[in-house]
Amino acid sequence: MALRFHWMLPKAGEVVPGAKQTPREAVRYRADSTIEGSSAPYPDLPGWTHFAHAAENAGIESVLISFSRYEPDPLVVSAALGCATTKLTFMLACRAGLTQPAAFVQQINTLSQLLGGRVSLNLVAGSSLSEQRGYGDFLPHDDRYARAGEFLTICNQFWRNGGEAGFRGHFYCVENGKLLTPFGENGKNGRAGGRSKPEVYISGHSEAAHRLVVEHGSCWLRVADTPEAIADSVKQMRDAGVSVGLRLCLLTRPTHEEAVDAVESLVPRDNGGGQATAVALKDDSVMHRDAAEDRVPAWHSPNIWTGLVPFYGPVWTTLAGTPREIAEAFLAWGEIGVEQFILSGWPELDTVETFGREVLPLIREGEACR
Amino acid sequence: MPLRFHWMFPKGGEVAMKTAQETSRVLTTKETSPAAIPDMDGWSRFARAAEEAGIESALLSFSRYEPDTILIACAVGMATSKLKTIVAYRSGLMQPATFVQQINTLSNLIQGRLAINLVAGSNTAEQRGYGDYYEHDDRYARAEEFLAICRSFWDTSHNGHGVDYEGKYYRLEGGKIFTPYAAEDRKAPEIYVSGHSDAARRLAMSQASCWLRLIDTPEKLQPQVAAVREAGREVCLRLCVVVRPAREEALRAALALLPDERIGREERAILQRSDSHTLHEALAAADERGWLGEHLWAGLVPYYGSSAITLVGTPSDLADAFLSYGRIGVTQFIIAGWPKLDEMVGFGRDVLPLVRQREGS
Repeated sequence: MALRFHWMLPKAGEVVPGAKQTPREAVRYRADSTIEGSSAPYPDLPGWTHFAHAAENAGIESVLISFSRYEPDPLVVSAALGCATTKLTFMLACRAGLTQPAAFVQQINTLSQLLGGRVSLNLVAGSSLSEQRGYGDFLPHDDRYARAGEFLTICNQFWRNGGEAGFRGHFYCVENGKLLTPFGENGKNGRAGGRSKPEVYISGHSEAAHRLVVEHGSCWLRVADTPEAIADSVKQMRDAGVSVGLRLCLLTRPTHEEAVDAVESLVPRDNGGGQATAVALKDDSVMHRDAAEDRVPAWHSPNIWTGLVPFYGPVWTTLAGTPREIAEAFLAWGEIGVEQFILSGWPELDTVETFGREVLPLIREGEACR
Repeated sequence: MPLRFHWMFPKGGEVAMKTAQETSRVLTTKETSPAAIPDMDGWSRFARAAEEAGIESALLSFSRYEPDTILIACAVGMATSKLKTIVAYRSGLMQPATFVQQINTLSNLIQGRLAINLVAGSNTAEQRGYGDYYEHDDRYARAEEFLAICRSFWDTSHNGHGVDYEGKYYRLEGGKIFTPYAAEDRKAPEIYVSGHSDAARRLAMSQASCWLRLIDTPEKLQPQVAAVREAGREVCLRLCVVVRPAREEALRAALALLPDERIGREERAILQRSDSHTLHEALAAADERGWLGEHLWAGLVPYYGSSAITLVGTPSDLADAFLSYGRIGVTQFIIAGWPKLDEMVGFGRDVLPLVRQREGS
């Protein structure tokens, strides 16, 4: 199967059609998006639509829309942005525990009807205690995963049993649940061989996260690292019948040296300022704690660099190099069983265009030869 | 202030249906109902016609038989430029902070052209299918907390500290939603609360901008309307209309809406299962009297639900009727008719100009 490539939807206000942004400015914009005064909370249809078309042209399958209190709601944003696109799938980050599963399925099914089935989910059990409490959720880490398990059990019942569900658990009870609007494979823009349920992506490095994805998910998302470092965990998931996806950032330059210089110049000069923010924002995530305690040198391989991780978090793990080096790296991950990638870059627009023009053709070429 | 007129948003497939019998609620609750599938073509036609007819908003109803109202409001709002939507949603299905985040996001995308019809719940069986096990009075108490929390999020005067709340049904600590509500003239959406029970009226008076109830005669409504207006809230009535150039024609058209007997029995059985006070009152009115006033007919209620109390008459009859409600303090109406599009176009052409003319004099 061909490798599948997804991209992070830029924050609102990040993409300004026609304007030029340096990588450093792009880093700053994203890092500051949780600060009062940022325009990230204000939906940005012109910028997003521009990016979505660029992503479609670049051969990107989906955009991941993140969920936090600092940003607009991903479901509503997808409904608006979906009307302006025809191919792109919307991978919505969602938190279990904020909505009853039946009401959630009703929203997802409605959205999928509007978008011809172009909907998938990135289920997050919760990342920060203080943010969760602001949403009215007081459960501790492991309970949140147990609840997410019940949540997905009920959602999957609705999707698999023709819109019916019944469940009696610790966190949820549903009696004769029934929803008439089905998941939208029959919509106007429906793909051939459409699905009757969305793919469910689950990230997380904790034991609880692993169990959740094996029992209820379709793809495990983890932070990128060298093939040697992740081969065992990838194999475990693949053996359990779960697809594996990596999250990372990309930086492409014509020569290796240029790429290394460019990426290293992104380290914040106001030393330490960002570190507290990134870690404090996601204080209850094992993945983020792991990253904060990462003592390995920043270059994990000639192309994999984690120099920004201590400042901004694990998904800022970066693959830097020439188009050829980057294509080879993706193919090497493909060799060990990784099938999907969620990418990001600085700036998002330039990077997705470069990826589509210079990297993806090399990957497809390489896949054809294997 | 001029009277405000809204219309019921058609269910999926309904715009193309020509007779009332076709659109009977039996269809909605059937497994194969077209109402389960979004109908953007029909809805866009309806929305354009509503804008042309001078209708301010369309009310989107919420049930397990239909698509989600918030997302449909987004799609419809993207396809229109003036029409507002009144989005029905049930408290208890979503955390209030999440609801506010969705509503605020929506308001930014459709220029604030939305209002909320908060429903405490409809029937116990349907609520349990949504994972909600509370009974009628608890549902209202929870809705009270739900709206109080939503309003704290919208009240931007507490800048910075976030929302703290400790209630029987909800608890929040430092709640903050960064995406604000966006509209030209408001910091929060208008909130309609419907229902005839004391609990519903209390909730409307404490937390809503408008009490939404079924139409009745002005004499019957007057004391309750006065009390709600006294509390600083508006009153909006739900009704259906059958308008024809001559009275006899209107009567014939109204009677022609009655369904055949079998469908009528099925409908009645479905309605009986509801634990809504509103509905039981309306059914009783239909059985006891049929005609509530000279132009006000309850004959369709047993078949089309509680909101089917109908004003029947000529454009002039109806314009006068609306003004008589205006005189007792009613300010808004949510109307339905059959077929959806034709009756609304006729209302905009024949009735609304008369209302505006007579309001002026």
